[in-house]
Amino acid sequence: MTPQMIFLMFFGGAAVWFGIVVFRTLSMVRSALALLFSQTAVGVMFLLMQAEFLGVLQIMMMATEMSVMAIFMVMFMMDPGGMGAMDMTHQKRLSLWAGGIGFVAALAVIWLADWGPANLQIPDATEQTAELGRELLGRSMFIFESAALMILTAMVAATMVAIHPSEGRKR
Amino acid sequence: MTVLIVLVALAVGAYLVAVLESWAVHGRLEPARPAISALALLGRESLLARTPDRLFFEAGPVVLLLAGLLAVAVIPLAPGLIVTDLATGALFLNAALAYVLVALIMAGWGPNGAYAMIGGWRFLGQFVAYAMLIVMPITAVAMRAESLSTVDIVTSQSTLWNIAYQPLGFVLFVAAAMGLCWLPPLDLPTARGDLAGGIEAEYTGARLAVLRLARMVLIMALAGATVTFYLGGWLGPWLPAWAWSAIKIFFVAGLMVSVGRLVPRVREAQYLEISWKLGIPLALANIFLVGVITLVVPI
Amino acid sequence: MRGARHGTMNALQRIAAAAMSRDLCGFVVPGAEIARAVGIDLGDAGLRLSTTPRHANVLVVIGRLPAGLLDAASVVYAQMPRPRAILTLGTNDISPLPVPDATGPLTQAGLEAAIADIRRIFAMAAFQPDVENFEAPTLETSTEYTCPMHPEVVQEAPGNCPKCGMTLVERETAGSAHRGHAVPEQKREVAAQKHSKPVAVCHDRSKGGHSADGDNHEQHKTHGSGHKQHHMRAKPDSTEAPLQYTCPMHPEVVSDEAGSCPKCGMHLVPVAEAGGHSGHDHKAHGKAHDEHSTDNHRGGHGGHGGSERVEGVEAHFMSMVDLTRDMPASADGLKMEWIDVPFGPFFPGLPGGLQLKLTLDGDAVATTSADSLVGSSDPLPANPSSPIEFVDHLAALSPLSPVAYRLLACLALEKAAGQSVAPDIARARLAVVERERVASHLGWLAVFGAQSGSSWIEKRAAAFQLKVQGAAATDVTTLKPKISTFLAKLQRTPLLAARLSGIGQLLANDTLSGPVARASGMASDTRSDDPVYAEIGFSVLTMTDGDALARLVQRCNEITQSLDLISAVGTVARLEPHSIGAASGTGEAVVETPRGAARLSLTLHKGKVIAADIKTPTTAHLALIGDVAEGQELGDALTGIGSLDISPWEVTS
Repeated sequence: MTPQMIFLMFFGGAAVWFGIVVFRTLSMVRSALALLFSQTAVGVMFLLMQAEFLGVLQIMMMATEMSVMAIFMVMFMMDPGGMGAMDMTHQKRLSLWAGGIGFVAALAVIWLADWGPANLQIPDATEQTAELGRELLGRSMFIFESAALMILTAMVAATMVAIHPSEGRKR
Repeated sequence: MTVLIVLVALAVGAYLVAVLESWAVHGRLEPARPAISALALLGRESLLARTPDRLFFEAGPVVLLLAGLLAVAVIPLAPGLIVTDLATGALFLNAALAYVLVALIMAGWGPNGAYAMIGGWRFLGQFVAYAMLIVMPITAVAMRAESLSTVDIVTSQSTLWNIAYQPLGFVLFVAAAMGLCWLPPLDLPTARGDLAGGIEAEYTGARLAVLRLARMVLIMALAGATVTFYLGGWLGPWLPAWAWSAIKIFFVAGLMVSVGRLVPRVREAQYLEISWKLGIPLALANIFLVGVITLVVPI
Repeated sequence: MRGARHGTMNALQRIAAAAMSRDLCGFVVPGAEIARAVGIDLGDAGLRLSTTPRHANVLVVIGRLPAGLLDAASVVYAQMPRPRAILTLGTNDISPLPVPDATGPLTQAGLEAAIADIRRIFAMAAFQPDVENFEAPTLETSTEYTCPMHPEVVQEAPGNCPKCGMTLVERETAGSAHRGHAVPEQKREVAAQKHSKPVAVCHDRSKGGHSADGDNHEQHKTHGSGHKQHHMRAKPDSTEAPLQYTCPMHPEVVSDEAGSCPKCGMHLVPVAEAGGHSGHDHKAHGKAHDEHSTDNHRGGHGGHGGSERVEGVEAHFMSMVDLTRDMPASADGLKMEWIDVPFGPFFPGLPGGLQLKLTLDGDAVATTSADSLVGSSDPLPANPSSPIEFVDHLAALSPLSPVAYRLLACLALEKAAGQSVAPDIARARLAVVERERVASHLGWLAVFGAQSGSSWIEKRAAAFQLKVQGAAATDVTTLKPKISTFLAKLQRTPLLAARLSGIGQLLANDTLSGPVARASGMASDTRSDDPVYAEIGFSVLTMTDGDALARLVQRCNEITQSLDLISAVGTVARLEPHSIGAASGTGEAVVETPRGAARLSLTLHKGKVIAADIKTPTTAHLALIGDVAEGQELGDALTGIGSLDISPWEVTS
């Protein structure tokens, strides 16, 4: 049991625990931030598995994304603080079925896919970052560029759709 | 050992910048003021709002402090004097600073009061404005250094500091840094005249002391980042490396803390507009320019 | 010290107490602008000022505290963390606040002596083993019970909502005996349960227009109206199938008979059978609902466990899009939660004594309600009164511009008595009034600086105000170039135009007065009718835009103009009423106070005032707050309100 494995188990458990908190708590903001910390734990796991760039990126992006999600929850949901103590869950059976099917599918992919032999010679972080850069700007450039353009288009379109055209509004 | 030295340096630096900030705000140079304030704060009651979200209320200042400390961990003060020289140091800095947002959302939501809540959500809007402008100049800096490690970034400036090489990036980065640590004129979350203290308003006693300490640490971290990325870190003639670091960081922090007090606070909508319509195109232009110059000019 | 903290003075406490005595932070009541107006420099005496009572340890009461502010002041005192002290200067009885720890006369020397006292008290008595809590009637809270869906339903005891049957939720509110009449709210909401508010507010937004909203869950309205926003499955079919009852909020609760939902207590409502939707419901639910109906057609009715629950969205899914569809939206187009926030009488950046209640829609202002807690419904002294009494009383009406009101009283008395003063006295009076105008506008600039976060503007303007206030004419002339440079630099401040232009636009109309009117282009200035002014060469200044920037520039220009007028006159003299003897008559006078024209008419009988009537400019400006603030983002709204330069003291209802 190397320290690495112990820490992996700890942060994996933390990720799962925070994930459970997401739907056990009544407060919307706590739910969003619990999801945030769950993803941070996953990011730390990446760091432990020596995928440094990926881990740091995960930690950084998830903080931002979940915070924005938190404000959307506050804007659009009733009782974001959970103080009304009302059960705000909906579509329970659908969720349980979807969650169950997703879990089984994920396990199937993990156990049945052929991941290839484990790489015992892990390049150090500098080398990894450089390799990642070459990959992004070389072989995978087309995929990432088109994905980026699509995301940008989606952002612009969503913003335009959300803004109500109203006469006399000067902004 | 290095950790200890860095922490001591951080404490001294934070103290000096606190003195400087109190000079800028109150017009009087009182060297003992931060110590007296801290002792007085610790002696006061630490009040709890009615029906707060206790977890967030307590956790807010602590997360802010942790974010600042993690950011400081990748800043090199001298060759070899860095807590951890990660290969993705510059990116890690940004990741740690993203938790400032989380901390302020917690601090805003926790007290269950309107002023704090508005302050917290205003900071989210401010974040949307400055976030790109923090990362894009870092990209240009890393391009020149051909590495994300903060040590490599400093050594890449041995011929010419980045402030001369990429001045546009410097201006954008410093402006975004002031937004990140909510210094005036970008102090929307704690606006004195609009929100009576905003997110800071409900904190008293020991919790307020932690919050203020965390803010000072954050300012030092950002000053350190500016010096590392643009002012050549520890590089300089005659004086030892750590002395240059100290002088430069102190200078930048002092500038950040005092410059904004002359102008009125920006309006949130305008800040967002300027950041996205003007700032981001400029940042992209900066990346392009730096890319071209790196390929063409051999320094 | 009454506000001491619980504990005994051991070594650690002693150190902390010594630190606290050196780190005095004051919260000024009714406001720092009052302190400046009476010539007291708080910063100079070693007192730092705080914007929130939570960060303060001394409550500084300047001058007379009107009864309307006592409740608010006791709330502020209660919000300060202990150890805390009270310092009063020239104040009357301040109960329900405790006895002040240090008092003094209303002078700078008095302030410094009082501060020295407070420092001693802190160092010696900051911690005491037996401390009692501060109790005041305004601080009492009581629990009430309200329905999350229907916020208008409020009861004293637990129970069920008469409209929908839901179990009432507990809520804390302010005061037990104070419900219903205007009590100054504390700075932070007592029942700041904004987290639970959306439950209530969400449905409450249908103020006026959409009556169906709150009624949706009533059992007996189930069938019938086609215009519900909320999809109650309307029209239970009266055909063969047995009725199922379900809870509108918890669709998984299904029962064969009507009753209450076990989860929330609401009345159960019948589930509509196949094909029983009105077309309106289809529109309300969109696609999901269509799936539902096809299922029904396919799968038959009666089965509740089955297909209906798994596929698609269930019928009573309360879509937020539907709920917010027709709700009023603020200027940025986003429909968000509405919260009520008081910007109470001691808000930094707003004039002290102004009680402002804003309903915020996210961070934009939806509605405003403004009231002055220090105005007087009865501004004039009891009749009959002697001239000296009358003049003094009127001067005390507005601590921010006492000289103008003094002059108003003197002029009215003289008109009524049919007398007039010598020209040189008239010119000296002019200079005094103009000096006060300069001081008042500089004071406004200091408040503007505080509100907009530019401490440079605040400090310089405050320093100039204190210097100008008691200055002789020659001093004023020496100050003039410095003030002019300051104003020029001020107007060139970067980002100032960006901050102010376009905010609080007011079109010229008759309710406007003073610099606010002149900035909107109206050339209304009562000074242009005065021959003494015409002699020195006075002309009305105006600006065209009518926004906050125009008002700032207007006031700066008026400062320069007033300084020129004072230099032209050359002397300033204290205002004394001319002796009237035992004259009788009626008279009316008008004076251009720094905030607008004030009119006074009075009747004299044998040397005593027996009737009087006053109109102040601010009373009309209070109504402008709504126009200036509504629909704006919070910061812009407060800037707009600040630009009106409201003096709550002058408000006469």
